[in-house]
Amino acid sequence: MYEYVLAPEQDVVISSRVRLSRNYEDLPFSPKLTPEYSEEVIERTVDAVFKTENGSAFTLLRMSELEEDARSRLVEHHLISYDLLKFVNRSAAMVSSAGTVTVMLNEEDHVRFQGLLPGLQLERSAEMALKLDEALEARYPFAFDHQWGFLTACPANTGTGMRASVILHLPALSANGQMGAVMQTIAKLGLTIRGLYGEGSEAQGHLYQMSNQATLGRSEEDVIRALSAATGQIVEHERGMRESAEKKDMLQLQDRLMRSWGELMYARLMTAKEFMTRYSDIRYAASMGYLHAPLPGLDKLMMDVQPGSLGVRAGKLISPRESEILRAKILREELQSLVAE
Amino acid sequence: MMCEDCGIRPAKFHLMTIINGDRVERNLCPTCMAKHQKQIPGIDFSNLAGILNSILENRSTRESEREDTEYDALVCEQCGMTYAEFQKCGMLGCANCYQAFKTPLNALLQRVHGNTQHAGRVPGGVHSGTSIRMNIDRLKEKLQKAVADEEYEQAAKLRDTIRALTIQLERKESDIKVKPHERLETNGEEGAKENV
Repeated sequence: MYEYVLAPEQDVVISSRVRLSRNYEDLPFSPKLTPEYSEEVIERTVDAVFKTENGSAFTLLRMSELEEDARSRLVEHHLISYDLLKFVNRSAAMVSSAGTVTVMLNEEDHVRFQGLLPGLQLERSAEMALKLDEALEARYPFAFDHQWGFLTACPANTGTGMRASVILHLPALSANGQMGAVMQTIAKLGLTIRGLYGEGSEAQGHLYQMSNQATLGRSEEDVIRALSAATGQIVEHERGMRESAEKKDMLQLQDRLMRSWGELMYARLMTAKEFMTRYSDIRYAASMGYLHAPLPGLDKLMMDVQPGSLGVRAGKLISPRESEILRAKILREELQSLVAE
Repeated sequence: MMCEDCGIRPAKFHLMTIINGDRVERNLCPTCMAKHQKQIPGIDFSNLAGILNSILENRSTRESEREDTEYDALVCEQCGMTYAEFQKCGMLGCANCYQAFKTPLNALLQRVHGNTQHAGRVPGGVHSGTSIRMNIDRLKEKLQKAVADEEYEQAAKLRDTIRALTIQLERKESDIKVKPHERLETNGEEGAKENV
């Protein structure tokens, strides 16, 4: 049915990410980091990253030199964390040309390596982050204790300093009121799951992020294995629910989902919130084969029409109404070309 | 009770949210509560939280907090951070803080992670000094257990392995001592001498 290449379990898993937190042993941590020391962090890291095998693929972005929309765009594309923007005066990011590896500088920790891949690919994401970690530690030693492992500013990350996560699209589990049960089971496994957007009141677009809780006492491999296994089980559950919804009344399911396609193709004003609901429907439809649109293309488009990314595209500060107009216009044009491909 | 988000500060709020019809309840500290509030659209909690927080801060009579104040005066000589300061901001000032606040921090790490012994990768891979040292520590524990269980043959084997590893480690460490010179080579002769 699909003519494009899918990453593993991409019908349910949007992306896999592994972040490693490290601090240079001889420099003060975040709360005591002066401008001179934060500059030293940037100098050391840039020097070491540029000297790695693929060093030339990285670009250094100082947050203080970027417009607000450009910073938001990086967050929306998961290239940097929202927390990096808490320290705009001193923080920076090194982004690889493929967008799969990022090094965040002067966030809560001196250095945070991130590997990011589509679908369920936690092992490979971890490999990418660890490779960079090894290359850097050979030049400048990181704070490490033989009892406590890698020492981080916040004790919640002490040990491996590793936070592995997956972004999941769970429309069928959500529709069946299963998320409460899923969350409770996940908590027992030492993992946490929460809504990715609109956290607190609702999970917009039925997108959830699941990650490991503890970082001390378990090896990186163990944690990755546990998270991959839990993800695999949720994927099976979600697929089962999608299939039974189809079995129950396929025409009704198609009708409900494809109406969102109609809205997206003809709307003239589209809020971010409404878009997330419609996106969830058409992604669901595409995964079931009702709509011949590539999932990677839909996911990229989803990030491209978030507020910061729209601002970057407009090239100027735009009002909420202007961004609704622009979002609707981009969606009409790009969805058309996605299905035509 | 500790905050279920950060696990570091005591929980003072009970947050109940309905996500797509499912009820999720969490016990949170003021800092993590503030993070969640930011993500709830349409309602301004900033004032309410501030008021509640100041009331709660004033009557900090919970046992867990009383325990913690015992360590408030601990100071890290390296960066000057006090344990009280750390409790407030949730972040340590430097690598040495871990030693300076060892006792309360160990209890804290146990609460947050359910463990206090690192089991992951070490710098430099399996042949590094750190890795060998951790291996020796593990074997010493095994040795103690073997002696206690009167498994003397096993204990003798473990003792030999520990001895061999200790020699290996000593050799490694004498190698490492040379390293700072290499790192300072670019600074010229003087830099190297300072480190001798």
